[in-house]
Amino acid sequence: MAELLSALFTWFVFPGFIFLLLCTWAFDWLDRRIIARFHGRVGPPWFQPLADWIKLLAKEDILSTGINERLAAILPMLSFAMVLAASLYIPVAGYTAAAFEGDLIVVLFLLSMPALAYFLAGWISGGAYGIMGGNRALLQYFSYEVPFLMAMVGPAILGNSWSISQIAQQQTGTLWYAFVQPVGFILAIIGLIGKLKRDPLDIPKAKSEVVGGSLTEYSGRKLVLWHLTMEMQAVLGIFLLINTFLGGAITAMVGLNILLFFLMAMVILLSLSTASVIYARLRIDQLAYLGWRVFAPLALLQIAFVVWMGG
Amino acid sequence: MSKVTIPIGPQHPLLKEPVAFTLTADGEQIVDSALRMGYVHRGIERLAQDRSYTQITYLVERVCGICSHVHTTTYCQGVEALLGLDVPPRGLYLRALLCELERIHSHLLWLGVLAKNVGLDTLFMYAWRDREIVLDIMEELSGGRVSHAVNIVGGVRIDLDEAQHQMVVEQLNRLAGRVHKHLNIVLHERTIKARTQNIGYLSAEQMREYCVVGPVARASGIDMDLRRDLPRPPYTELDFDVITHTDGDVWARTVVRVEETLVSLKLCQDILAKLPDGPVAAKAKRRVPTGEVVSRFEAPRGEVVYYIRSNGTDKPERLKIRTPTLTALITLPIQLQGVALADVSVVLSGVDLCIACADR
Amino acid sequence: MTPTETQEQLSARISEALEAAFPDIALEMQPLPKQDISITLPPEKLEAVVAILIETFDFYHLSTITGVDNGETIEILYHFWNRYGVTLRVHLPYDAPHVPALTPTIPGAAFYEREIREMLGVVFEGLPEEGPLLLADDWEAGLPLRKISKQEKEAV
Repeated sequence: MAELLSALFTWFVFPGFIFLLLCTWAFDWLDRRIIARFHGRVGPPWFQPLADWIKLLAKEDILSTGINERLAAILPMLSFAMVLAASLYIPVAGYTAAAFEGDLIVVLFLLSMPALAYFLAGWISGGAYGIMGGNRALLQYFSYEVPFLMAMVGPAILGNSWSISQIAQQQTGTLWYAFVQPVGFILAIIGLIGKLKRDPLDIPKAKSEVVGGSLTEYSGRKLVLWHLTMEMQAVLGIFLLINTFLGGAITAMVGLNILLFFLMAMVILLSLSTASVIYARLRIDQLAYLGWRVFAPLALLQIAFVVWMGG
Repeated sequence: MSKVTIPIGPQHPLLKEPVAFTLTADGEQIVDSALRMGYVHRGIERLAQDRSYTQITYLVERVCGICSHVHTTTYCQGVEALLGLDVPPRGLYLRALLCELERIHSHLLWLGVLAKNVGLDTLFMYAWRDREIVLDIMEELSGGRVSHAVNIVGGVRIDLDEAQHQMVVEQLNRLAGRVHKHLNIVLHERTIKARTQNIGYLSAEQMREYCVVGPVARASGIDMDLRRDLPRPPYTELDFDVITHTDGDVWARTVVRVEETLVSLKLCQDILAKLPDGPVAAKAKRRVPTGEVVSRFEAPRGEVVYYIRSNGTDKPERLKIRTPTLTALITLPIQLQGVALADVSVVLSGVDLCIACADR
Repeated sequence: MTPTETQEQLSARISEALEAAFPDIALEMQPLPKQDISITLPPEKLEAVVAILIETFDFYHLSTITGVDNGETIEILYHFWNRYGVTLRVHLPYDAPHVPALTPTIPGAAFYEREIREMLGVVFEGLPEEGPLLLADDWEAGLPLRKISKQEKEAV
């Protein structure tokens, strides 16, 4: 009984669903606040993300005619479920709901599926903006995903494991992998920006170009699921980078771990916000050029360096 | 992928005013475009025929929501020429001051729109925030932020006291520093260059063929500025540069506009320094003698043309308005040919459309 | 780039060139305020005069075209600009206003000519047929800038 209760607690409360939801709330608010401060604005109050979710939930759920209703409903749920499933395997300051050897690959797979669902959502929406947005999402996926995956291979080789907690454990007492392979770390952050479709890589949902991209035709509950998926993906992406590149904030002092973990998360969030503030949006062909001609070769070089060092 | 028809407008996040473009895209590339305007056609030319010269001053102010003062200036200039009326120098200087303030306001607003459309929200926020300085000055001077109702036939209806003079000079100095910062961003930020260079290119030859005016033409090397080429006071007594560029793309238009903002700032300072004393307006007769006049003036977007024909009564026989946006609109199909869908927003913002002006 | 010649000198030069080209017609020239010259000419000579203006005097910039219903004829005014303004004026008969289009030589004239076609019902020969420019697609109230004659007013 106690075992079951503790399992339920880790799945749903900490570091499971509720903790994740609170983090999503906090990170989303902080992100908007930081960007607003850069712009010279005040920014939203602390309850704004929650208010947005509730507002969208309460709104009428409309679908345009001719759209496959079942698919349109399944796609956001599926991507939300994928992201929630991924959250089980990502440790928070050493605590994890579930773990096994090889969970890094599962997490990478689960985190990349929403991009495909996003493409499909635009493709079936029937509107011109949705189709263009979906196409762009797919093109963008091919551009950022390869360098991102290659950047994640580095820590796995150094840590000699495909388990996230193992990789994090390996870094205690030694130099964090972000300092061993800085190029890989930067590429992983760029890949994360592309994955989250944030400025300056918000190409699939650029308002002045394709209105709302894939999500143009979505509203109400389905839209809030899409937003939650994206925002949770941001939190999980940041957590994943901490574990793989910054040693998962595991120190000898247990009480300090959580604090350090969030400090690191804030630093990565700040770098994401800064990137979105200082750059103009790229064009899709410019991103493809960068992805294949610059980022991918750099990631390969980084892997070669890691193999040479590890071997 | 087969060809997709993409409607931009009459309502679209990219457009601030209603106009419709129907784009045909092959993948990400635009292969055809069609334009439909007239959504905000108010028939101002027809309305003017039933109104007195005084009333028309306030009517033409509504042609455009950004360069309202320039329209009344061009109109009053024309009517004053028909009347053979000499405006007192102080009136002319105050008129010019507001024209230059309006140019700064228009260019800053445009810079924000461009920044928003290339996805650089920071510059958008900065430009629009700094535009508030100009709007505050204009509110202080005339009581209105956008529609000033400053011009009357024969002069202006406002005057500047010592405190206002001081305040305007201070605020303009503050603004100059900010605009230098914007220029620095535009000249050196690599992602802005990546998005705006080699987009929407038009050669000087094409500019001549399509009779394009204003910053768009100047960015292609057409050296035309009515403030210098059609000299009348106070511009004859002021020293200023006409900014031209040779690249002819959206980036060149951006640079030209931001540098013109700096020129206008300097002009404002000069006008305030040289502001003569005396009355601000001369008394104008209600009835205008028979005659006709073509009145031209350099608006923020280029040459504004008013053709006024009077028939000896207190109402004009015909009032024709040509706004600079029309000349830019006509070049859009050429500029859009072959560009990527992502660059449509950049091309459209590059020409600085003012649809209310174009439709009248 | 201040103009090197006065308006009178330019006016004399234009008048000389036009007289040499069209010895058989008297072209009426008069100055307008604000550095402008108005030249009245028959509609069939329009293209030739515009060609001379552009080639000899570099008046490439067509500021705009104005159409005026003056009660007796329909006047079309072509406002050119090159440091000075030159306004060409043609008078068209009220019931069959035809004039050659300038759009083939000056592409920038298209919107101005389309607008006058819509507002005054002038036929521009050589201007491609297109939908309305400013008026609504289902506009049926006639030509907005034509003056209403007395009989028509009474009928309304």
